Amino acid sequence: MDGLWIRAVAHRGAMLGAIWAALSAPDPEGLALGLVAVPAAVALSLRLLPARHPLILWRLALHLPRFLAGSVTGGVDVARRAFARKMPLDPGWIDVPPEPSGGLPGGARVALGGELSLMPGTLAAGCDGDRLLVHVLDRGGRFDASIPREAREIAAIIGHRRDRPQGGA
Amino acid sequence: MTAWLSFVAIGVLASLAGALWRVWRGPAPADRMMAAQLVGTGGVAVLILLAAVQDWAALDVAVALALLAALAAVGFVKAGTPDGAGDPEEEAPPADMQLSAMTPDAAAQVGRTRRDPDRRRGDG
Amino acid sequence: MADLATLLFTALGLVFFAAGTVGLIRFPDTFSRLHALTKADNLGLGFIALGVAFQAESWAQVARIALIWVLALLAAGAVAQLVARAALMRRGGA
Repeated sequence: MDGLWIRAVAHRGAMLGAIWAALSAPDPEGLALGLVAVPAAVALSLRLLPARHPLILWRLALHLPRFLAGSVTGGVDVARRAFARKMPLDPGWIDVPPEPSGGLPGGARVALGGELSLMPGTLAAGCDGDRLLVHVLDRGGRFDASIPREAREIAAIIGHRRDRPQGGA
Repeated sequence: MTAWLSFVAIGVLASLAGALWRVWRGPAPADRMMAAQLVGTGGVAVLILLAAVQDWAALDVAVALALLAALAAVGFVKAGTPDGAGDPEEEAPPADMQLSAMTPDAAAQVGRTRRDPDRRRGDG
Repeated sequence: MADLATLLFTALGLVFFAAGTVGLIRFPDTFSRLHALTKADNLGLGFIALGVAFQAESWAQVARIALIWVLALLAAGAVAQLVARAALMRRGGA
């Protein structure tokens, strides 16, 4: 019954409750059923994924607009390349050193990969050991700054602290 | 507005049909796996449009499809691993993947950055 | 006014779906195609959802459209990674 657990219950309850409300509104009977379904779902989620990291909501809220803007830029960028007569592509792999991603726990690393896959020019393909494998559309792009920055932001959202404040490479 | 939304729905369907050409041609299995993603986004978009055109109940179908499309993609990927049940994360990337996947130029670049002595080679 | 927003956003959405398909057909390798599909189609769905939301008759419908979009966004990020990973595996084995 520590603080972490209480926070996780509150966050997950709010999220699953919102999903239930969106699914069943405006039917009052459906909402009433949620009083049983949502706690059951929270219990199941705590069993499948025990609370290990606090979710810092205001950091997440600050991060969302940047994520949305990035995913719009990503779509525009890929559309521009697709429609261009001479496709400006220079695809290849870059190997992100362990530092930005290696410190993150598994779930956060998946979140980082998913986010990078929607950002302009990058597509994650999971990890090889500690290193994140990232495919880029244009190897001329500057990703050695942007990828560690995303990793830092995600680390901050789950209150994850790294020894070194700045990414190397 | 109904006519316009129907037109957009037809446009999305046409773009799905174009994308299915790639699913049909391949050549890589992953090109075919993209069908799962296509249904997930394109199919959901068509359903949302149809909801506005005909009956808002179609939104519930769209929710179900959006959920199931993600699961379908996981199924596609899992079925593709050698034992049919594996998790791609469990395997190390094959050593020669870059050479077959990329231009020689790109492979040279990776050769410079990726050095992993105990990486095992792929079957092929 | 709402109709104008619907017109604008759904048209944008259609453009991005078309861009995704063009990229999927034109891009030279599997991974680049995955970029096109993931980013462009997802943005297309976002714009179409936004456009249709202006036609909704109740907040419940708006909430449901938002839920669909969030689910699709999460799925796109996760599925793109999985397919890219699987494509890497198969390159070596095939």
